[in-house]
Amino acid sequence: MADSASVLPSGRALLGPAGAAQRGRWRGLRGHLQGSEYAWAVAFCVPYIFVFFAFVVYPVAFGIWMGSDASLYTTLFSDPIYKETVVNTALFLGVAINLKLFLALLLSGFFMRPGWWTKALLMIFVLPWAVPALPTYISIHWMLNGEFGLLNNMLYDLFNITAPDWLTSRWTSLGSAMVTHIWKWLPFWTVILLAGRMAIPTEIRDAAKVDGATGLRCFIHVSFPLLANLYLICTLLSTIFSLGDFNSVYFVTGGGPADSTHVLATLGIRYAFDLAQPRLGVAAVISALPLLIPLVIILMRKFRTSQVQL
Amino acid sequence: MSILTRRSLIRSSVGAIAAGTLARPYIANAQAKTIEVWWVQGFVPEEDAAFNDFAAQYEKQSGDKLNYSIIPFAPMRQKIISAITSGVVPDLIYATPPEVVPNAAWEGQLVDVTDVVETQKSKMLPMAAASAYCYNNVEKRRSYYGVPFEGSVVPFHIWGSLVEKAGFKVSDIPDTWDPFIDFFKPVAKKLQEQGMRHTYATAFVVSTIGNDPTNTFQQFMIAYGGENIVTKDGKFNGKDPQVREGVVKAVERLSSLFKEGYIPPSSINWNDADDNNAFHSKLCVMDFDGTLSTELAMLHKQHEEYLHEVVTMPPPKHNDGKQMASQFGVNYMMIPKGAKNVEGAKSMAKYMIEPEINAKYLKGGLGRWLPIYPDLVKNDSWWTDPKQDIHRPPYVEQAFNRPVLPFYFIYTPAWAQVRTEHPFNVAMHDITSGGMKSTDAVDKAFKRIEEIFTKYEIKA
Repeated sequence: MADSASVLPSGRALLGPAGAAQRGRWRGLRGHLQGSEYAWAVAFCVPYIFVFFAFVVYPVAFGIWMGSDASLYTTLFSDPIYKETVVNTALFLGVAINLKLFLALLLSGFFMRPGWWTKALLMIFVLPWAVPALPTYISIHWMLNGEFGLLNNMLYDLFNITAPDWLTSRWTSLGSAMVTHIWKWLPFWTVILLAGRMAIPTEIRDAAKVDGATGLRCFIHVSFPLLANLYLICTLLSTIFSLGDFNSVYFVTGGGPADSTHVLATLGIRYAFDLAQPRLGVAAVISALPLLIPLVIILMRKFRTSQVQL
Repeated sequence: MSILTRRSLIRSSVGAIAAGTLARPYIANAQAKTIEVWWVQGFVPEEDAAFNDFAAQYEKQSGDKLNYSIIPFAPMRQKIISAITSGVVPDLIYATPPEVVPNAAWEGQLVDVTDVVETQKSKMLPMAAASAYCYNNVEKRRSYYGVPFEGSVVPFHIWGSLVEKAGFKVSDIPDTWDPFIDFFKPVAKKLQEQGMRHTYATAFVVSTIGNDPTNTFQQFMIAYGGENIVTKDGKFNGKDPQVREGVVKAVERLSSLFKEGYIPPSSINWNDADDNNAFHSKLCVMDFDGTLSTELAMLHKQHEEYLHEVVTMPPPKHNDGKQMASQFGVNYMMIPKGAKNVEGAKSMAKYMIEPEINAKYLKGGLGRWLPIYPDLVKNDSWWTDPKQDIHRPPYVEQAFNRPVLPFYFIYTPAWAQVRTEHPFNVAMHDITSGGMKSTDAVDKAFKRIEEIFTKYEIKA
């Protein structure tokens, strides 16, 4: 019996040049997997692909479909509350995020100090981030209540000061939501920047000290340039996260007084469920995309940066 | 162990999908007699118990199975909107807030329930039946899209004990609008002088959240002559000088009460339950809130106060001495399009509105909600005898023996959006915080209302 290999033409010869190219592509997709290994690999991927389509692709596509009617945006832009909300969102992102990251940068330097007490203080400091968000936001809402809130009653009982009703004017109310957001997330970003600082080799600082750069000069010329990329990435990430931050506004101010402190995330919910116009709610959230997409692109580009010029 | 190949994987997957697809009709058939119901949780446990009893009685009588969920009213609204948007709906829904019915009817999202309403329509308050006759903008016609089954009015709730503590008597409370409101100002002042630093005259809700702010504002508007703000054919009537004057006066009056400190500052952020809580904690001497929920929430935990200290009172007369109208609200059951068991849902709705069954259910809920059948109230001393309950008779008096108006959203769903956007409460905020003139604030509100009305043009 003749050897089959000598009788049958090779697979490449049977398929011809185009078939061979296709087979090459298949091999590229398969990698080094053989036979049932490939089937098992597919089997393990199928659940993830299903979940990805069911819970990522479908909801996003459904949302974009819901917000695809141009007339929704005409309705949106004619609503005076939407205009106020855009201003609030810009203020929330511009002020709260930058203040939070700047404070985190300073505090990360403080927590670099040696000594057991800074470590103990760090443990206490991270508590606001570690505790569940909603009960604390609701507690803050009640603490700021003008009539029976803890803060105003303490100020009155201890110092006979009649404090303002924090949640009854737009600016003190929005300020309260921003302070709450900073209080909640400051520890997280401080720890991230602290990790960044700890990754700077001590030799660099020691060399700078030999050259006479200490304190603020060392920070400006050595630490900050090395941290700058991380700081920018943290700011971009925090902006992207906070653009969808619903909780710190909804549970502290409820969007009030008179719907004057909504941000886009809370306004979307107001349209969807209070006004029973879910499409308008989706449109309100989609209207943040012109800001969100460039932020994501800048963020992706920043991840490519690999060198720092001191 | 068999070797898994690409073909065997595809074969197994197709087999599993086919088996699931073929099995589904049998599962659906097995549930054909099950009616999926979403019901709203009560303020007191007795309300939920009354529905449980009703459900058991219906199951026994019909042989159907009720698969029901009792849901708090705030998340219920979100569930309803999510269900109708996604198309994954139950068979029967307790519509809350009630304006969800004209809204969903407008969008053509509800099943026509004329055959259900017709079974008892002749016995209902005409207003109750009329309020379920909504416009369907898809089919360009009106029909019954909700099944009315209970009603309510908005009474005043007063701490009689605080009035007396301040050195006044409940019998001193005037029976015309402005003197009635002003009566509580010195009461609060006296109480504050006695050390109750945070006790306010009223718990009027001036926020832009929920139903209470609109109900409060609309009663003020009615008191000052603005009751015809929406015509019966669903048009906004803001150009009527009497309406405009009534609205301006109402906005000015509520803004002044807020600015002068007769309403708690936090009221600007209150939701529907917050004024009840404020009243229970004696933060306010008086509250204006729909149904008897304020009193009934005290029945168990503050029983002595329920019996002897709190007074329920209908709104007083107009300033010129004429009887004042209240708004009579109606609650509905609705069947969303896409419901699997429409016939079962209609059957349950028909059973719920049978007068005797309905009376038993409402009495089980301690009369927080009123019947929509006047005869049920007239022929049953349970509703009218003060010896049986001190709070029910004035509530019934207000609903059945005094003039009543429907909520305006029964004429047009545009008013449902006005209710939820609260333009008049925004106007109050413009005056109190933004320093705007009251006439300018009302003009701004009217402009917004006109914009809303242009979206809801009724052609029938």
